[in-house]
Amino acid sequence: MLSVAIGSNRHHYVGGLRGHCHQTGAMACLASTTRPRWWPHFSSTVRSTALTARLGAMLGTAIGICFLTGLLSYYQYQPWSWLPQPAGPVWGYRLTQGVHVATGMTAIPLLFVKLWSVYPNQFRWPPIRSIKHAVERFTVAILVGSALVQVSTGFFNVLNWYPFRWDFLSVHYYLAYVVVGSVLLHIGVKLPDIVYGLQTKVAEGDVLTEIPWNENPESHSNAGPLPPPVTPGISRRGVLAATGAGIGLVAITSVGQTITPLEPIGLLAVRQRSKGPQGVPVNRTAEQAQVLAAATARDWTLIIDGPHPYVLRLADIEAAAAHNDRFPISCVEGWSAGADWRGLLLLDVVRRAGGTERSRIRFQSLEQGWPFNHSEMFGPQLSRALLATHLNAERINLDHGYPLRLIAPNRAGVLNTKWLSRIEVL
Amino acid sequence: MRWWRLALGTVGSLVGLYGASQLLVHLPTHSLILVAVWLIAAVIIHDGLLSPVIVGVGSGFHRWVPDRGRRYLQAALIIGAMVTLIAIPMIYRQGTQPPSKAILLQNFGANLALLLGVIAGLTLIAYVVRVARDGSLQPPDQGA
Repeated sequence: MLSVAIGSNRHHYVGGLRGHCHQTGAMACLASTTRPRWWPHFSSTVRSTALTARLGAMLGTAIGICFLTGLLSYYQYQPWSWLPQPAGPVWGYRLTQGVHVATGMTAIPLLFVKLWSVYPNQFRWPPIRSIKHAVERFTVAILVGSALVQVSTGFFNVLNWYPFRWDFLSVHYYLAYVVVGSVLLHIGVKLPDIVYGLQTKVAEGDVLTEIPWNENPESHSNAGPLPPPVTPGISRRGVLAATGAGIGLVAITSVGQTITPLEPIGLLAVRQRSKGPQGVPVNRTAEQAQVLAAATARDWTLIIDGPHPYVLRLADIEAAAAHNDRFPISCVEGWSAGADWRGLLLLDVVRRAGGTERSRIRFQSLEQGWPFNHSEMFGPQLSRALLATHLNAERINLDHGYPLRLIAPNRAGVLNTKWLSRIEVL
Repeated sequence: MRWWRLALGTVGSLVGLYGASQLLVHLPTHSLILVAVWLIAAVIIHDGLLSPVIVGVGSGFHRWVPDRGRRYLQAALIIGAMVTLIAIPMIYRQGTQPPSKAILLQNFGANLALLLGVIAGLTLIAYVVRVARDGSLQPPDQGA
């Protein structure tokens, strides 16, 4: 019987590294007998290291993907001079940020299920056994707190909701290292349990209660040839299946904001491309940016600064806007929309001012006093970028950046500066 | 395994300390205090409020709902709770933004009700099929 083999093997996985009283006989550990009568006791047989290890593997994968795609986004915001952003694939940022938000969103309920599966661990007796144990508990508290705050504030940002009064960009960035560092440390601490959990059939693993398996004479690994624990209610496999179904349902009803064909079933989609003006959502309206008057002023001009500075009037631009291209506009908040753009080729404008495709360009918006009222561009994106006058065959509207906006492939939406007033060839 | 544990623990500690030190360097004091409050509150709300409620609900079911039906009820509740967790902030935030942003324009309360209805319906069908297959209203393991 396999369970016998497992029963005699868990000590091998752990290699005597944890615990100090793993008697396999009826003799119970001191810790279990001295605890107060009122101390909580968990009798459910559903929780198991075998279940937790699988949930943890799913969650760890989601956090890892979320972290890497998040780093890519932060790199968009502050690229290194020697490694400019590529211009292709044009859907690169759309894909990575769609994945970032989808994995982050699904990680929220998954995190709760994972924490549920180890909740009895909070009730070990005595609560603190040694300095090492205290340190471990402290690092787990940091992991739990930082992970909960990271995924929830990330989600709030997607909802354009800022109940927290701090700079989202820096906290989300640096806290991500705290989360990932704590996850790696946690994996290191729990590695024997993880290996045991993943290698044991989910129905057969030790029951996880407030008593550590190696102090519990009745635990599967200690008691010898016993049949797998009976789960009278939902089985462990059932928990995994239901969790998978929950993740799938959240994912499929929310990614419609990124994957256009899924918009009709997007019951939990934050954005709806089809409801945006000219078929594209907006993140900052002209009213929010307080540019209504400046953007519609009759004497609006585009100033181009560089070795040969010049000025373009609106009529000049509209007459010359003949270059068409199609790229998605993609937001760090996960939504994106493919669109047809028409306008001036940025490189033509840059060359006339004395620049080349190797120049560094700075774009300035009419908007005042917002950190993203300007952006910079260098490298491959420069050769394909447009100064757009038209969006989906219509004159671009005010909320999308009238009279003129920047749009480039594989570039974060917020860096495609709207309501342009000035372009500098640096 | 020992070297893996050591490597993971070392790298993890360094990465985490890097993040924490950057927060300390880059954030003004009032932001740091707020972040700390949120971190502590997250743990307290989760471990002290939410989890006991879930454990309480679970033990209530254990006491009052027969095993066979409980399996389906628990599965439906897991899926339903996961969806609800995501939907609640959306319901709270719907209609707060300018329409041209095309954000949060749906009636998420109705959408959540629809999703929960589908989950409940499918689970009920699965349960009825189970009862029919068992051939009686009395589960086989309790039949004797």
